[in-house]
Amino acid sequence: MPGLASDPGDSLVPFLPDVRDPVVYPVRHGVNPPIFRVYVSWTRGNFLQVACLRPPAAEPAGGEEDGVSDEEIGGKVVEVKLGAGDEEISEAQRRRIAYGSVPAFALLQSRKNSLAAMSRMSASSIRTEWWEHVLEYSRHISDLLGNPMLPSSTVIEDPKMIMQPHEEPTTLKAAWQLMEIFYVDKLSSTWLPERLVDWLADYDSLLTETTIHSKVEGLQKRLSSLKVVVEDDPEYWEGMSGALAAGWLDAVVKLLRLHGSYQLEQLGSRETENGLVEAVAVLVSTMPRMRPHLPAGRLGQCYKTKPDFIKAWEKWRLHISRLDSSTFWVQCSHHQTREGLRNLLQIMLGNISNLRAATCHWMELFISHFLYIRPLTMGLDEFHSLAQKCMQLKSSSSSNGLMGLFIGILGENPEVVLAECSKTLGPWMVAHAMELLTVDNGHADILLHEERYSLGDISIEELHRLVYAQVLSSHPLTWQIAPTYLASCPKQGLGLLEILLYKQPVQHYQMILKNLEICRLYELENISSSIMKIAGTYHWKHGRKGSGVYWLQQARDEVRLNKIAQQLFECIGKSISDDSFKQWEGLIELLGSQVGTAGGLEFLHKYRDFKRSLQQVQDGSPVDAARQTMESLMQLMKNSSTPQRFWLPLLHDSVKLLNWKAQPLLTVSETNLLLNKLQELSMVKLHPDFCESNLPPQALSSVRLALATNLGRAVLEEC
Amino acid sequence: MSAHQTSTMEKEVATLEKGALCCSWNYCGQRLAVGFVDGSVSIHDNLDSASSCSSKWKAHASSINNIVWLPPEFGDAIACISADGSMSLWEEVEDDTQPLKWKMCKLFESSNVTVLDLQFGVYSTSLKMVVAYSDGHVKVYELLDPLELNKWQLQAEFQNVIDSVLRFGKPSCAKASIAWNPRRGESQQSSFVLGFNSDLPQFNSSKIWEFEEDHQRWLPVAELALPGDKGDRVHAVAWAPNIGRPYEVIAVATCKGIAIWHVGLNPESDGRLSTEKVALLSGHDGEVWQLEWDVSGLTLASTGADGMVRLWQSNVNGVWHEEAALECNGMQQ
Repeated sequence: MPGLASDPGDSLVPFLPDVRDPVVYPVRHGVNPPIFRVYVSWTRGNFLQVACLRPPAAEPAGGEEDGVSDEEIGGKVVEVKLGAGDEEISEAQRRRIAYGSVPAFALLQSRKNSLAAMSRMSASSIRTEWWEHVLEYSRHISDLLGNPMLPSSTVIEDPKMIMQPHEEPTTLKAAWQLMEIFYVDKLSSTWLPERLVDWLADYDSLLTETTIHSKVEGLQKRLSSLKVVVEDDPEYWEGMSGALAAGWLDAVVKLLRLHGSYQLEQLGSRETENGLVEAVAVLVSTMPRMRPHLPAGRLGQCYKTKPDFIKAWEKWRLHISRLDSSTFWVQCSHHQTREGLRNLLQIMLGNISNLRAATCHWMELFISHFLYIRPLTMGLDEFHSLAQKCMQLKSSSSSNGLMGLFIGILGENPEVVLAECSKTLGPWMVAHAMELLTVDNGHADILLHEERYSLGDISIEELHRLVYAQVLSSHPLTWQIAPTYLASCPKQGLGLLEILLYKQPVQHYQMILKNLEICRLYELENISSSIMKIAGTYHWKHGRKGSGVYWLQQARDEVRLNKIAQQLFECIGKSISDDSFKQWEGLIELLGSQVGTAGGLEFLHKYRDFKRSLQQVQDGSPVDAARQTMESLMQLMKNSSTPQRFWLPLLHDSVKLLNWKAQPLLTVSETNLLLNKLQELSMVKLHPDFCESNLPPQALSSVRLALATNLGRAVLEEC
Repeated sequence: MSAHQTSTMEKEVATLEKGALCCSWNYCGQRLAVGFVDGSVSIHDNLDSASSCSSKWKAHASSINNIVWLPPEFGDAIACISADGSMSLWEEVEDDTQPLKWKMCKLFESSNVTVLDLQFGVYSTSLKMVVAYSDGHVKVYELLDPLELNKWQLQAEFQNVIDSVLRFGKPSCAKASIAWNPRRGESQQSSFVLGFNSDLPQFNSSKIWEFEEDHQRWLPVAELALPGDKGDRVHAVAWAPNIGRPYEVIAVATCKGIAIWHVGLNPESDGRLSTEKVALLSGHDGEVWQLEWDVSGLTLASTGADGMVRLWQSNVNGVWHEEAALECNGMQQ
């Protein structure tokens, strides 16, 4: 049963019956049913990991009965990639596009911000400047999506090479070009129909399976393999009429020149026929075009202004009509040639039934209208109604995402354009094409920039950038560019960036540095401190104490550093021998190098000296060692970096020396200082934050007694 | 208009041993902890490349029903809930004296009640753990030393009912679901949502509990159920990440379907948070097992007894719908 969104009754959102059924995808996990439990987790970006578990049946009594290997596994975990998009573009190519589009996108955003800041400039000049920026952006992205065709002059002309080979066109580039033509490229708006003719020449093969392109391509293969009399071959005439209808004049002229009447030995007998072929070729190659220029190798005569063009077009059509009604046709004995050439003339005269027969897809018929019927068509509504008409005439044409996009553009329907971009071309296209859509379209601008409560107070533009950034963050190679897009999201971008940063693994030093750099760039102090804490704890717990302390210091994590200091103090207390001290020495060095407020542990050095001489005393060394120990003790107690919580353990260690039999080791003033410290400690003990050390309960009183005794003896001594 | 274009491509990342009962991913999705019917736990590493089982040990005498990872600031550590009602905390440690291993830090034994669910929340620097028990009680513990996972202090204990003065009978709870407010930050109050699957209706409905600093107590600030639905048994709850919305989004699955709730950020004059049920999504035939929001809080994934993973999204008009479904029940190889 498909899931339905249903109305909760009192909700404000009405139930919409047009919500489409979800697409169901089988997960190929390789675990035989039944499935006992399914667990999911969004791991990176929009990757979903799915764990499918088998029922944990009790161990069979006999042990291995059927021994089916499948029974040995408890389940599988698969990673499912959502929104894989069309397979037209490889992963590596997709990444190349993702990386390549970042600078253009970032530049455009920064230009947008600086233009927004320049309120003093007049609105129209800002608009013009902005439009120029978007055009530059569009051209950059367009280049990125595929290289332009190689100019034909670089290869030696092969008369049988009707179409120049060039890079396989992609739907992505075709869609981008369409949007550029209609939304951005104002300079060519006066010759929009001709721009579409050029577009079709590049992308005709993407429309459907059988196109004029595929026919001409088929014809080219036949020509190179067969030694036939071309004019007897119906496909020759069919391919030529298609090429003419689509406006590929150079291909038509090349094909005409392959006509048998050009053969030297036939010229004499087929003079009139050859004259007719050549006359058509001349007419084709001199077709007036309403455009400023033509790329090298393309045929036709360009006219920049409308009156000039109309004059030339009418004259050209007159020539065609004259040829059509001339008496030479009677003298042309070759039936196919006669019919084929006259069909070409009818196409050029804009005879709709000939055009319809010559084209395969409605888009081709649509384009042929601009060439031969209505070369001056202007305005999207005219385009739209013409497209509707062509679709009716060619109702068998299949529809695809590209055509949906085209109709959306003609229908001035940005919702449809976006939906088609999203459905057919994926999140990259939507995130980047948004700039084209809004450049000069108030309606789209409002639609895409309006903040919507149902989206959490963000605009559709921001939503799609968030979605694209999430896709980028799915792969470790593209995750680094996600912040650029998130930074352009005014409301929720940094929120998402924080979560993405928090979820990055911390095992590798270089990766941590990169992530911290991102934090610094976008002023995310909280998250950078979290990352350093996670790294610090990870290394500390995994035996890399130095790295652990380093990161915790970077995070200024006093709580954890103080706990570590406590642990170290206890360790040194237990291990006085030099060998075991060495393992801590580096760490203490590290802790001491950046004293600050957090975990300055330089006193641990003195504590080491103190412990060492104490050991010597216990080993039975002379009075000098005892004196030296007490000196260390005094230094430690006077030093402000010795944390208070270590005072009592230090004094407790020294009780034996305070009770030194031979003579008191401390002077009166020294003893008083220690007594004061002890008094301070007793006060602190009453404080609720006091942290009890691991000393015996009578430690304080035994220290006090020893100090008092020492004081008495010192007084006597100093008398 | 959908946010995700949905077509799929899958890649196997781990094979689980026989007897696997539950599993849980760590914060970055690279490690997987698996609980087994014999009480052992295994850890799979490097899920993004060549996955391998790095360690396996016996954690409890009875089967492991649930595993929860601690937040990464507290190390690589997990909590295991055993079928016998006890729970234990384990962390991965290594030092000069011992090689890398998983060490038990703390065992919470139980006498007559069992632990049903637990979740961890980080607020400023402290780690809190909410534990829900089979008798309808909730305990909140706080970690005293961020580097030692064995020192916990019981901060509060209460029942999942709105009116704490009324006396209720003793419920028998089969399942509990807890979700912390995922928002991090100093100023944020601690809060979590909790629902039960029990035989006493008052305990079932999902309630949002918030810690009141002034009186150092936990208060119910919202109830996520319409008047007629309050006794519905709750199967799962999930609190969506909030990257900047002016309201929170929480998903609650009951026998009636998955409800999507909008919850106000700030309390109203009576101290309660405003709530609005914006959708009820049905699709799973039978019980919902798990709800999981993606990082942006735009897509909700649910799993259920029908063996499907369903992905739910809202369109630009705020209408929730099922965007796609992944069929896991199929017989394929």
